[in-house]
Amino acid sequence: MPESNDKKGIIQHVAEVIIGELKLEDITADTFNPDMDLVDELGIDSMDLATIALVLQDEYKIVIDEDDYPKLKTIRLIADYIDEKLTAKS
Amino acid sequence: MTIKNKDSYEPDRPKFSELLANPEVKARWEKVRKYFFLRESTYDMSNRCNIRCDGCYYFEGEKQFAEENGSVEAWRNLMQAEKKRGITYVVLAGAEPSLVPQLLDVCYSEMPLGSIATNGFKKIPPSVGYKIHISVWGNDETSLRIRKAKNLLKKQIENYKNDSRAVFVYTFTKENIDEVNEVAAELIANNCKLTFNVFSSPVGYAGPLRHDEASLKRTRETMIALLNRYPKNVLFSVYNAVAHTHSKGLHDLYSCSYPRCNPSQDIGLGRSFRQYRTDLNWDRAVACCVPDTDCPDCRHYAAGSAVVTARLYRHVNNSASFKSWLDYVDTYLAVWVMGYEKGKNLCTVAIEPPPNAGS
Repeated sequence: MPESNDKKGIIQHVAEVIIGELKLEDITADTFNPDMDLVDELGIDSMDLATIALVLQDEYKIVIDEDDYPKLKTIRLIADYIDEKLTAKS
Repeated sequence: MTIKNKDSYEPDRPKFSELLANPEVKARWEKVRKYFFLRESTYDMSNRCNIRCDGCYYFEGEKQFAEENGSVEAWRNLMQAEKKRGITYVVLAGAEPSLVPQLLDVCYSEMPLGSIATNGFKKIPPSVGYKIHISVWGNDETSLRIRKAKNLLKKQIENYKNDSRAVFVYTFTKENIDEVNEVAAELIANNCKLTFNVFSSPVGYAGPLRHDEASLKRTRETMIALLNRYPKNVLFSVYNAVAHTHSKGLHDLYSCSYPRCNPSQDIGLGRSFRQYRTDLNWDRAVACCVPDTDCPDCRHYAAGSAVVTARLYRHVNNSASFKSWLDYVDTYLAVWVMGYEKGKNLCTVAIEPPPNAGS
């Protein structure tokens, strides 16, 4: 579960989810560049992204619409997206 | 960033983690997700065929006029370039790949995962370790009439029985629905694996093979009956039957993600898929698995394998829907990936496809 819902905490948690779901080695949430292009640089595909979105959706109790998946290209963009959804909810 | 807020969080909807709490479901999810790295493209290998079938997609469209590049080195270079751009799975098709075994060998040596669509008349050497999909359109009498090929089923079985690469693909047309029973019995007697396709009209085709609502319904019933009768040999699920015999085609149901129908190049098939012609060129405007199909009538098994599989998100609304999706993906992998063994289907009731967000 995310420890905090401020932007830094969301970035940290998104990185942890990606590392866990994709079983990434040699990288930690602290060393994960939040601006790395997940598609071009990390090589994740639509199914990986869908899996990550489903996990994050559960944890933050938000809806991540599948039409929005293509926008979620970096950890920072994912965190911005979650932040906007949480703000809209509150 | 502008985001959609068209729907709100539904507390009654199960969490993804709750769906995975069922050990059987979790095990299947872990089994199939290992293959999420597959990224396909398709390749026409030759502009020749040793038979000529009514309604053949290859000879309906313009790609038949592309020049044939038979250079082993050109194909090796293409495969190496494809690997570099992230392709991990090749589908070798049109017109008849068995006529160019030297090209199949070079593709296999560069790209170890893939499949070949063949009429099965000429055996593909065992050195090519791809899945081999053998197209079956009926019994020998029907094959002679529709495909002008004598003793085709007999020859196909001779060539591929006891071959772990082989999956026989029975294409249901409006005219051959009942005939599948005798064909399936013969295939199963020879311990062959069988899956199903649904005839999808080429653009402009209005001939007798085209399905209507009644024939689709009968096809669905027949598929499910055969699945129940031969669960070890029939690679299929109830949800496969639903998705491919629905009155709506795959595009209407799931929003086809191939470039021909999908302008987005951000991620997924719209970004990586190409359909190469025999001259080793490709055209984004017509790129899909069977390019000359009339999109609204598309119910191809190949298209569904990519399009239904890609719609994970829509199938996590409830347990039956997610199990059905897992059955579909499990079937897809058993049909397309060497060494992947189909598990027992998790959902044996027919569920409606989820609402299409794109329509």
